Amino acid sequence: MVDLLHPLGIYILALGAGFLIPLLYGSSPKLATGLFVTALTGMAVIAGAGFFALAGGAASIEIETAGIAPPFSINLRFGLYESLFVFAVNLAGLLAALHYLPRLREQAATLLLFIIMIMGIDGMVMTRDLFNLFIFIEITSLATYSLIGFEGREDLLSAGFKYIIATSVASTFFLLGTAFIYYQTGTLNIDDIIANQSLISGPVGQVALLLLLTSLLIELKPYPANGWGLDVYETAPGAIASMISVGVSAGVFFALYKVLPLFGDFLTSIAVVGGITFLISNVIGLKQENVKRLLGYSSIGQVGLLVVALALLQKYGQQTHLALIVGGLFINHLLAKAGLFWLAGVVQRERIKDWSSIAGQPLLLLVFGVCLAALIGLPPFPGFWAKWGLVLELAVNNLYGWIALILVGSLLEAAYLFRWFGHALRAGDTAPVTLSVTELMPSAVAAALLAITGYITATHAGVVPLQLFLPLYAAAALFLLDGLPGRFKSLLMIAIVAAGGVWVARDLQGLNLIFGIILVGGGVLMAVATLYRSDARKGFYPLLAGLLLSLTTLLTAQTSLEFFFSWELMTLTSYLLVTLGRDAVKPALPYLLFSLGSAFLILTGFAAAFAATGSTELTALGSVGDAVPVVFSLLALGFIIKAGGFGFHIWLPNAYSEADDDFSAILSAVMSKASIFGLVIVAAHLGVRADIGLDAAYVLGWMGMLTATFGALMAVFQEDLKRLLAYSSMGQLGYIVAGVALMSHLGWVAALYMTVNHFLFKGVLFLAAAGVIYRTGTDLMYKMGGLIKNMPVTFVAVMIAIIAMSGVPPLSGFGGKWMLFNAMMDKGWYWLAAVGFFSSAVAFLYMFRILQTVFLGQRKLEHKDLQEAPAILLAPQVIMLAVIMLLSAYPKLLLDPLSVAIAPYVPGALVWDGWALETHLGYWNAPVIMMIVGGVWVVPLVFLLLVSLTIKVQPVKQFNIVYAAERPHRPEDTHYAYRFFAHYERAIGFLVKPRATAFWSAAGEWSHTLAGSLRIFYTGNGQTYAFFILVYFVALYFANGGTV
Amino acid sequence: MEINWLQKIGNFGLTLSIVLVYGLLMGAFIERIIAKVQGRIGIPYSQPFINILKNFFKRTAVSHGVMFELGPVFRIAGGVGTLAFIPVIFGSETFSNFSFAGDLMLVIYFMFFGQLGMALGAGESGHPYAAIGIARGLSQMTSYEVPFALAVVAIVIQYDTLSINEIIAAQQGGYQNWTLFTNPIAVAAAMLAFLGMTGYSPFDIFLAPQEIPIGPPTEFHSAYLSLLQANRALFGATKLVLFMNLFFGGATGWVELMIKTWVIYMVAIAVGVAFPRFRVDQSIRFFFRIPTLIGIASIVYVQMVLVR
Repeated sequence: MVDLLHPLGIYILALGAGFLIPLLYGSSPKLATGLFVTALTGMAVIAGAGFFALAGGAASIEIETAGIAPPFSINLRFGLYESLFVFAVNLAGLLAALHYLPRLREQAATLLLFIIMIMGIDGMVMTRDLFNLFIFIEITSLATYSLIGFEGREDLLSAGFKYIIATSVASTFFLLGTAFIYYQTGTLNIDDIIANQSLISGPVGQVALLLLLTSLLIELKPYPANGWGLDVYETAPGAIASMISVGVSAGVFFALYKVLPLFGDFLTSIAVVGGITFLISNVIGLKQENVKRLLGYSSIGQVGLLVVALALLQKYGQQTHLALIVGGLFINHLLAKAGLFWLAGVVQRERIKDWSSIAGQPLLLLVFGVCLAALIGLPPFPGFWAKWGLVLELAVNNLYGWIALILVGSLLEAAYLFRWFGHALRAGDTAPVTLSVTELMPSAVAAALLAITGYITATHAGVVPLQLFLPLYAAAALFLLDGLPGRFKSLLMIAIVAAGGVWVARDLQGLNLIFGIILVGGGVLMAVATLYRSDARKGFYPLLAGLLLSLTTLLTAQTSLEFFFSWELMTLTSYLLVTLGRDAVKPALPYLLFSLGSAFLILTGFAAAFAATGSTELTALGSVGDAVPVVFSLLALGFIIKAGGFGFHIWLPNAYSEADDDFSAILSAVMSKASIFGLVIVAAHLGVRADIGLDAAYVLGWMGMLTATFGALMAVFQEDLKRLLAYSSMGQLGYIVAGVALMSHLGWVAALYMTVNHFLFKGVLFLAAAGVIYRTGTDLMYKMGGLIKNMPVTFVAVMIAIIAMSGVPPLSGFGGKWMLFNAMMDKGWYWLAAVGFFSSAVAFLYMFRILQTVFLGQRKLEHKDLQEAPAILLAPQVIMLAVIMLLSAYPKLLLDPLSVAIAPYVPGALVWDGWALETHLGYWNAPVIMMIVGGVWVVPLVFLLLVSLTIKVQPVKQFNIVYAAERPHRPEDTHYAYRFFAHYERAIGFLVKPRATAFWSAAGEWSHTLAGSLRIFYTGNGQTYAFFILVYFVALYFANGGTV
Repeated sequence: MEINWLQKIGNFGLTLSIVLVYGLLMGAFIERIIAKVQGRIGIPYSQPFINILKNFFKRTAVSHGVMFELGPVFRIAGGVGTLAFIPVIFGSETFSNFSFAGDLMLVIYFMFFGQLGMALGAGESGHPYAAIGIARGLSQMTSYEVPFALAVVAIVIQYDTLSINEIIAAQQGGYQNWTLFTNPIAVAAAMLAFLGMTGYSPFDIFLAPQEIPIGPPTEFHSAYLSLLQANRALFGATKLVLFMNLFFGGATGWVELMIKTWVIYMVAIAVGVAFPRFRVDQSIRFFFRIPTLIGIASIVYVQMVLVR
């Protein structure tokens, strides 16, 4: 019985179709095209069936020619890895062909060449004969040249010609190398050659191997000998470029993999080649404005990354890991890059700025975003799991330099890819593009496959997908329902988040439970506030559900992988949510980059922990041993960057202030706690000690207090209400970080107490700010004033929150400050305690400023009839205020659970005398204080009330001569609000010059300049490129110990 | 602990009355001395009392709103509350007030309570000068808090306690145990900060009393003003009592208290009559320079010399 699905069928179909298509085309082009599509589909089906069979455990299929066994004949192998590559390439080829069919079908030749190209790639993958490999390379190249040039444009022809020159040189090298190898070993069969490796020796052998290696590397387009490749990417039509990028590269890459055992001595060189290519391509990509060329840089970079991974894992790692990591990266690259090239092919806008034409189209943006996110290695796509595996494997072998290179390259790639994405989010001058379903289909299929393969890879990585992927399911469900009215979606989102959150958090204990209450409960409370807006807010509700649920799954993480997954998911969703603000796309990019930078540091920290302990369990952090300072420093730096630590804070004010008002509340009150959670959990498990000196925890404490001080100072001078609150958040988090850094029982109780309080205060303040901005329509405080008459409830809320936040007794903020001070004095951190006093005092300034400039003073005329904020916005504030008052009177209700939760990690206990908390230095009796203060406040109040009954009290309003400066005709002008602290600025303004901003801007400038200068090798001249290739070979020769 | 609330409140009322009367009298006394220095006769001793009563008995008042009326309430609550948490006479159960509720940190942070509320009240007056005055006053406060905080940290290290009672207890047994003599650097820093706290020259820009009437006192009248005036005397005396307790050995009797507080106050007055007023940015910068250095030196001194 003939096995229709035998791999040989691929070649039969291809060759048969290739033969028949020109014959049929003359009489019926439709039939020929139909045959073309059928053949491609058949090739994909065969490969797919074979892959699934092999994945299920079937044996590899060996195909021999003429029934003669190798090495006397050529054989093809169809093993698991071959089947994966062939399936992927054939599927991509099918989709590319469907994408490009309207142009392809114009000539028989193009149909034929396309199928042959695919067949050639399949051959490259499957063959086990060196010369046969050369033949297939040539077949593929011939087909590729012709396809590049067939549209006939001048730039295409010139690019195609450069491609010919370069690959011809490479092919020549390959042939020469093959010849010499045959001379030394007497066989052309790859397996045989590898078995007889020792025969390849001496200068001849060395040169032969290097020729072979150079050829394969050149085909993979390494820097600096890759100018020709970029010219092709820039000019070729989307489908062809995609096939070069994912198809031809796949074939050459697999060829490299096949002969890799021969290159045992050169693995470091190969890694260096790949690494330089990856890093430099991504640096140069920063400057690129042309879409296809940008994708070209990204392609070249990704292939470089694959080469690095292959070489390093071959040298140091295990075979199974190699398969998972390289396979994952490959699939990721293939699907994402192909999807992007096809998208570029249908959108047809050459410059990245012109991609504003796809703004506002959810499906397009989703496909686009999915492909980009996959490239960076964001969850849940395969690249995420592969990168995790790669970094861990490198850490185990102590290859931190390589880790740094890979992560820096990824960060740069994120920079230019998401800059491009940013353009697509804002509507611009270019005419919008609408795509039909068939046009979008290939890219959409690629995006869908990315999601599916991501899920499959996740199961291989050993996580529990249901729980972990819950945020994604919720987001997907809400995305499908995005056409419903705004408030309905909001209710749905609240319900899903509440249900999902409670379900995920049902088993939490101790510290995780406490953070669970803040993140889940607090998140739902904040989400309720989003009901105040009735507009559609496309994309907001799915993303918010994803964010809040990923915060929940963060809490339940048992391994560092699960933690990191939720962390990156949180980064991605919060970035997208920030972009939804009015002018928020530009500030969102620094937010994303700093978040990714912090995530990469966290990744490295976890990898170092894995290297030390061999386990990814979070509890295993306790056995890290000597590596604790390194692991802790990396992780702490990562978390503190995400919390807006001083020096890395430049993204914070812009992102917070430009995001949607209710989302700023969530960012500040809820999401910032995630960094604290991370810091606490990591420190808890690591068992860090904090002593004075250049000790990681002491440094962290200083960073915290400096953040607190400078955050407060910078807040003082802000005119924009939300920016002020953003800097204030930054400052308050600094206190919490310093509290955690103390690593003492009281310090942690203080830090967690302040965390809960900060959630309450900032929640109230940001929601109140949202209400004020909603009613007045402006963010700037000097455009407001006198709103106490219109918005009394908001005023009271803000006043109580401010009194509490400043630490004035009897409200709850005082307790946090008191405990922190005590803990610092206990530890001997005297200077930090003094700095803390100062920043507390400075905080008064901006807190008073909010109240004075917004609610007191003179009211603007246009605000005369302003209404109070919507009730749904006030309700969460009232609830939070009630909690603040409760905690102020009875802090023991919160402190005892905190102390119990912390005790397993940082031993100790709180000493109570009834309701009074006692420490080594002092004592604090909150209920009594509350009663006394209440008493001394109520007595004069009653007194004054009685007096006002006996005297005649005349109320005056704004236009009364007594009210404001005796200037009754224009009192609204005499509102002192702008540059409220001008004198303070004159006195100590030098402290808050934007030095950090200058530093990071300079870093960006320097990167761009570097990118420009690295392009020096791209002369555009084919002869120069050929010369570079020759020089490349010579350089490789001398680098590997060659002698003259 | 068993607290007889009624008795406590009664005793506190007694303390409050004594301190209030003493504060007003001392104010009058100081005014007379300044007058003599400036070649005038000066106000009669009864004048501060008459001022308060006169304002209280005025038959009309103008209100700018609820917060306006609450401003003086906050202010006097701040003054009375601060006194409530400070033990006035060491060793006396009657006059130790509610110091069992909280320690030194409570007192320091609570001092802001009155200021905050007052600022809000004046803000609703609508007068921009009130806001300017408050902005200046708060800015100045942040800067004189720095040497004060440093001095407080120094004495907390020195005495290893935040409880005011224990700090006073450690200074008993002869004048050589006063912080003034055991840690003079910290006292120097604190006294420099005190100059800022009192709001006299050269740091009185936020009130600018002889020039443009500015800030809260201008906007309030009638019963509101009487509360503020009472508070001025009360809060002033309270701060003096606090400084006496922390740096000058506390007082075991009322006479000792009055003498010591008068001497401390004279320091501020002596500086005040001799110096003209700083501009606000000058006064802010002033405290960040020498006083902060002295504060830093005090902590270093304590760490190296005293706690060995």
